[in-house]
Amino acid sequence: MAGLSYDDVDFGDELPEFSPDINLPTICKFTDAAGMSFGRFNDHEEARKAGLPGAIVPGIMSQGIFAAMIHAWAPGSTIRKLDTIFRASLVADTVSLCRGVVTDRDDDERTLELDLTLSNADGDTAVLGTAIVSLED
Amino acid sequence: MDIDVKELKEKHVGFEFDQSRFEIVPEKLVAYAEACGETEPRFIDPADPDFRAVPNYPASFHGQKNLPDGFPLSRRRSFDGGKMVESFAAIRSGDVITGRSHIHEIYEKTGRSGPMMFVVHRMEFSNQKDEPVAIVDWRLVVRLGEM
Repeated sequence: MAGLSYDDVDFGDELPEFSPDINLPTICKFTDAAGMSFGRFNDHEEARKAGLPGAIVPGIMSQGIFAAMIHAWAPGSTIRKLDTIFRASLVADTVSLCRGVVTDRDDDERTLELDLTLSNADGDTAVLGTAIVSLED
Repeated sequence: MDIDVKELKEKHVGFEFDQSRFEIVPEKLVAYAEACGETEPRFIDPADPDFRAVPNYPASFHGQKNLPDGFPLSRRRSFDGGKMVESFAAIRSGDVITGRSHIHEIYEKTGRSGPMMFVVHRMEFSNQKDEPVAIVDWRLVVRLGEM
């Protein structure tokens, strides 16, 4: 494994911040792969007609972005559990920021618990997450 | 909205109401992973010996029915509260995954916007060898008070 080991990581360690690509073509690529090609995700006008501020990032794409950040930080790691709470919409073609911090270590299981956030262009947290990650199989 | 949560629990929690199959194709795995920003070859290169789906890929699987027959739900009153994915084994290209759906839990909470009911829809996934690969919980939030 090329990445971190459990013993390298301390409580409170922060994952490198990550600004995900949430532009419309990338969201369309995601929704096509996920079988979720709906107007609220793929078309600003259709989304506005539905009362949204514009096309939005699917919740499970936000979850996938969390996973990508964890894998970028710890290549080869295994995400055992990933829980996300959707608090607000993330609008396509805006800037967002993904952050993570180590909040617990389980020395018996040799797993880490991470808190994750994805914020919108105003800096408000749109998606919250927690993950249980093993750095070694 | 008049819902008897106790009755709803007795009637629906724990009963399988859908079973669906999903064939895993490499092109979808790659596109899904790349769109999320994955760069590791095990997620984006079908030639990698460890090529597999990203951990939350099964969150994109939908059964033929989202809820049991007769489950009272107004779309206007409900919203997606979040998703939890627990992974047990890798999902790989060529796998045939079976997803079995049931209502796992129903509970009430009162928040700033009034009483709410949380419905936890669980899909349990296994592969063609009948090995469990993942669980996905979808929390559906339903507003119960006046709107």
